[in-house]
Amino acid sequence: MSSVVINITNAGGSPKSEWRLLPLRVDDAFTAMALDEAILKLNAEGKVPNTVRFYRWSPSAVSIGYFQSLEREVALDAARRYGVDVVRRITGGGAVFHDHHGELTYSVVCKESDVPGDIIESYRLICGGLVSGFRNLGVDAEFRPVNDVQVKGKKISGSAQTRRWGSVLQHGTILISPDVRRMFELLRVSPEKISDKFVSSIFERVTTIERELGRRPDFEEVHRAMVRGFEDAFGVRLVEGELSQEELELAAQLRSKYASSEWLRKR
Amino acid sequence: MENLMGYAEFKAPKGVIKVELETENDRIVRISLGGDFFMYPEDALEQLEQKLIGVPVGRENLLAVVKEFYSGGVQTPMVEPEHWVEAILRAARGGQK
Repeated sequence: MSSVVINITNAGGSPKSEWRLLPLRVDDAFTAMALDEAILKLNAEGKVPNTVRFYRWSPSAVSIGYFQSLEREVALDAARRYGVDVVRRITGGGAVFHDHHGELTYSVVCKESDVPGDIIESYRLICGGLVSGFRNLGVDAEFRPVNDVQVKGKKISGSAQTRRWGSVLQHGTILISPDVRRMFELLRVSPEKISDKFVSSIFERVTTIERELGRRPDFEEVHRAMVRGFEDAFGVRLVEGELSQEELELAAQLRSKYASSEWLRKR
Repeated sequence: MENLMGYAEFKAPKGVIKVELETENDRIVRISLGGDFFMYPEDALEQLEQKLIGVPVGRENLLAVVKEFYSGGVQTPMVEPEHWVEAILRAARGGQK
């Protein structure tokens, strides 16, 4: 896999770099997280280009932030009951329900030098791709620092970023039409968080594309809108590519870490 | 000799800090920090926990240790040294978890 960034000349005459766009995948939680880390590691080593990808989770899963305590954040009995996997991310931030039927996850991997050094500004740039994507769908979304995209004060997307080895991984959730009731059965929300937001119901804090549009777009429509959104926000062309053999092999190794009880119960 | 265990949460502008704490004669002997904040680099959190062992539970002492930790270049967007201290003090007052 070439690591060379190819510059093409667009109509305006200025060079536009190309980033790799991977095909939409459906994976289990452990493989999904292993792939994100493998791409990050190999991008840092100069072996794979800057990359944007989208994926769905099967079975549905809860991902928890790197610093979160498993028992405090996840209702494990509910997860067992519903056959929902639980995985710890290498990124900080909060717990997320990845509903197979109503959630699309994105991930962006690029060199640290391709985003602002300031962390919040780098979230603003990458989340700008989402904001632009939501607007392509007709949803009037805006970036809310540090890591959220909101519609009229309600969260429609949350992201988490890590910087390792000279590259950046940012991944996050795009809420199309998740089962919000199940989401809150699975996630244990601290009283401290609710009281701070002055809301009686957690349902008031989250919205979905379906709710905002009054219809449920399919995954393909959301995917297309987001791809254009990222191209516009980054000023790059996303060119369809594939995972390299090395990425697949590294991900297969990393998968056992993510599936291990030791990693899951790290905190 | 007095051993106390405590647990508390504190909502910083970004993220809820969760602290599990054990003190002996008002000094921290065990501490676990967690939550949905971001820290760059991630490994630094364990160093912060290490630095807090043996520190007397008082605002000034704790703040000095946390600020010294940050001087190494660690970043936590919208979470400040004072927020860790507040969370730890709450846990120390929190009694049994």
